[in-house]
Amino acid sequence: MLQIENTLFTIVMLAYFAAMILYFTFIGVQKEPIAKAAVSLQCAGFALHTAALVCRGIGAGRLPLTNQYEFATCFAWGLCLVCLVFVFRYRFTVLGAFAAPVIFLIIGYAAMQSREVRELMPALRSNWLGFHVSTAIIAYGAFGVSFVLSVIFLLRDRIKAGGFLDHHIPNREKLDAISYRSVSLGLLFLTFTIVTGAIWAERAWGSYWSWDPKETWSLVTWIVYAIYLHLRIRRGWQGRSAAVFAAVGFICVMFTYIGVNTLLPGVHSYA
Amino acid sequence: MTAIKKIWKFISSMRFAIILLAVLAAACTAGSLVTQGQDYAWYARRYSERTAALILALRLDDAFHSWWFILISAFLCVNLLLCSVLRLPQLIRRTKAAADPRAALRAPDGALAEGLSDPRPVFRRLRMPAPVESSTDDGRRALFAAKNRAGFWGAWICHLGILLLIAGFGLGQMTQKQYAVYGVPGQSRPIGDTGCVLRIDDFRVDLREDDTVAQYTADITVFGPSGEGGTGSSATVSVNNPASLFGMKFYQNSTGWAATVSVAEKGAPLQEEIVCAGEYLLVADKPDLAICFNAFYPDYVMTPGSRPATASGRLNNPAYLYSVYYREQMIGMNVLMADEELTIDDYTVTFSKPQNYTLIQVKADRFTPLALLGGLITMLGLLLALYVLPASVWAVQTGDGSWTLHGASRKGGALFREQVLRAAQAERTAPEKGDKNDASD
Ligand code: HEM
Repeated sequence: MLQIENTLFTIVMLAYFAAMILYFTFIGVQKEPIAKAAVSLQCAGFALHTAALVCRGIGAGRLPLTNQYEFATCFAWGLCLVCLVFVFRYRFTVLGAFAAPVIFLIIGYAAMQSREVRELMPALRSNWLGFHVSTAIIAYGAFGVSFVLSVIFLLRDRIKAGGFLDHHIPNREKLDAISYRSVSLGLLFLTFTIVTGAIWAERAWGSYWSWDPKETWSLVTWIVYAIYLHLRIRRGWQGRSAAVFAAVGFICVMFTYIGVNTLLPGVHSYA
Repeated sequence: MTAIKKIWKFISSMRFAIILLAVLAAACTAGSLVTQGQDYAWYARRYSERTAALILALRLDDAFHSWWFILISAFLCVNLLLCSVLRLPQLIRRTKAAADPRAALRAPDGALAEGLSDPRPVFRRLRMPAPVESSTDDGRRALFAAKNRAGFWGAWICHLGILLLIAGFGLGQMTQKQYAVYGVPGQSRPIGDTGCVLRIDDFRVDLREDDTVAQYTADITVFGPSGEGGTGSSATVSVNNPASLFGMKFYQNSTGWAATVSVAEKGAPLQEEIVCAGEYLLVADKPDLAICFNAFYPDYVMTPGSRPATASGRLNNPAYLYSVYYREQMIGMNVLMADEELTIDDYTVTFSKPQNYTLIQVKADRFTPLALLGGLITMLGLLLALYVLPASVWAVQTGDGSWTLHGASRKGGALFREQVLRAAQAERTAPEKGDKNDASD
């Protein structure tokens, strides 16, 4: 099974890479059918990615959500999932083009991690782990999409009016609204992540909140996006400022994900 | 406006909330960047003496329990409480107004679609409830429907949840009791100052084939304040499966090695005690003399650097690292194998029967359920605030009998208007039994 996963993982990386190239070609040569091909390829890559994760789950005899490699590949999967949902829901192909490099970067990061399947320490053997990490994957995916949307928003002003890209990117108001939807999704799931994590910590360690750096940083991220929501209600804070804020929020997400593990000590050092 | 009124308004404002949240995030960042709970010497070594003094002065060594952190949290609670109470009437009004066609019909919003012969199917496509008949101020027929009014309450419920969460956490921090009890099977130990006693009946470490630990399991019996004479309650606790007894929660926390240390004086047995690694034993008739059981190696090997180590977790070649203290001065330290004896003047010391002890963490926090409730309410509130977006749609009949269609959603904004537009278009191109997919969101 793990052998199959290995092969699938390589194919998935190639598929994501090819989809990215197709997306770029679409923007370069401005032909609709290429966009369709890019989206289809990304969908195919996503399907194979799902199969790869299932294989790893079966091969390891547990949910594949417990070390840096597994979480990184799941992060790419979550980002791809949320991206595709937004591409179809808001008929926004160009989002796929901007998200593709980020997805590729994250799966590339996964490829650099050790793929060894290690047995779990007792504290990790809990059903809450599944809820905790799977909600985190959706949250991170949604924040990733909101980051990509912010970048698009900030670049939007430089796009020639009436041109090809102008036609394919929603207007500022709609872009802002879509970005709000992605932050909403992310914040909701981050809340689920923190609450399920707290319930699990209470069962495993006897303390539902102990200010461990990963916990603290997920709280900081949560607060940053809560501020984003409040600022949006205030006049003058939609649009550009909100986009900048959402991009900063994603830096917190990435710090929570990678920075905390590499720079700060704590009980989350395994994931 | 008087100064007091101004302050009052500020304290209950969302602007203050945003400032507090930003300060809280900064405080958390500081607390996570500075390693917590160390002393002056540690910080001085890590940073500089000046920085160390600053860290201690600002209480950054225990940021999350510092007076300023508690102050920020308290302000946040006051702010949330005031804002929730003060906004309640407005919220009720807004919820009521959203169901009232007159307010919508007076709104200056432009029409999203015109020339519809029958708007009702569009309402259905948008998953709106059946529209009610109404009329505009100038007497034209109108249809109106509002949905998702529960969404107005999302933020309010979310704020209430956060308040309960902070209250539950804060009260828990102030009142909770925590104890650590450890021992080997057969031993009974008092649980702190509760008067209760914990007896360890059995303890197992399940190893996998590759020597990694699969699970730690302890069978325990707890006796109430009347002691071991009374009736006890038994439970099995393992990692991730705590037990609740006598209003306390028992967690299998960690484990280590213990051994039986026997002391003989001139060949006659003097004393025998179970000692956990890290603890010491005072010789019964010579308390100036202490034997410390420093560490245990179940599968003893000497590393190339001449350091003692263990090759596995299995009891293949047990060895004990000990040190001897006389009047609190260390006079010797070495490794003793299972069949060896340590001789100090008239005394001989042996280590035997290595076994795992278990550390059971005992915790009593009556406010955990309150914090949990707060967390669940926060989740529910967020779900309502972010995913149940209030929206209204209305149609007005024009002079020629056709209808114009309007729609508004405070948070759905551009996306909702587009949906209304799309639904109207879909109804034009494929009237009546058109597919309903476009009505999603
Ligand atoms: C960590 C703390 C907080 C969180 C997570 C939070 C969450 C939220 C959410 C999700 C919304 C809805 C936003 C939207 O619909 O886009 C909201 C709105 C709001 N919040 Fe907070 N909030 C927090 C603290 C506060 C505090 C301390 C105040 C105190 C005044 C406050 C005042 C408001 C107000 C006035 C609204 C507007 C409500 C509306 O328009 O319906 N929030 N908050």
